Amino acid sequence: MREPIHITTPWPTPEEWAKYYPISKESEKAVQALVDEFKAMHPNREDETVNSAEPEKRRKRASAA
Amino acid sequence: MPPLPDPKGVFLNIPYDQEFSSLYVAYIVGLCHLGLIPHLASELPGGERRLDRIFKLIQSCRYSIHDLSRVELSVAPTAVPRFNMPLELGMTITWQKLHPSRHNWYVWESERHRIQKSASDLDGTDANIHDGTPEGILRELSNALWHDHMPSVPKMIDNYRFVHNNLNAILLRNGTSNPYDRSAFMELCRISTALADLSRMTKPSV
Repeated sequence: MREPIHITTPWPTPEEWAKYYPISKESEKAVQALVDEFKAMHPNREDETVNSAEPEKRRKRASAA
Repeated sequence: MPPLPDPKGVFLNIPYDQEFSSLYVAYIVGLCHLGLIPHLASELPGGERRLDRIFKLIQSCRYSIHDLSRVELSVAPTAVPRFNMPLELGMTITWQKLHPSRHNWYVWESERHRIQKSASDLDGTDANIHDGTPEGILRELSNALWHDHMPSVPKMIDNYRFVHNNLNAILLRNGTSNPYDRSAFMELCRISTALADLSRMTKPSV
């Protein structure tokens, strides 16, 4: 299997995402409503992602490949 | 010589059919959760010849994914093999051979070893096998590429399901039944990027 490629580019900012994918104001509102719905369904999602060991596991797996 | 490619850009070479739409959504969600920018030929405005526009898009992206899982005959009465994906893969391989540092391409299939029959010249290429499932797409994306901030595969699957459950509403809002239309694609990307921002690893271990 091919060794996984480590993407080292900075994570896109919301402004960058918006520049790549322009949508109407109405769609912006609809997307925001969906995000709010998602947050209500996953109240701890942001906390869950902090301090996870997942990147370290991936780094080890890639260096072992 | 065209300008350097966008290091986050990924050209998606996939079939534009209804049966593929759940895999299409999985590609979008997965790539956004890797901090990458998926691109489709259908997002390009008209004017120039389609093939020229596609080639420019390939040149502008650092990566490309070529899904050859639907190369079988179409179901139309005048069934013909589908050559678009292999054609665009050929263009990409040529571009990469001429400029190796500018592009990485990946071949994806749903069935192991089928590529040796459908495109035997690709023998020696490690295809990513997604089993024809969204979960397989997300698993293989995380096997092929990784970012310090990317969330776990189960989280990506969870987020994919949320986006896919809202696909019909997105299509309705954009006045289309075609998920590959530019407006639907843009909105799918925006919701995917918003969920990726919410789910990303905020403090990667170094």
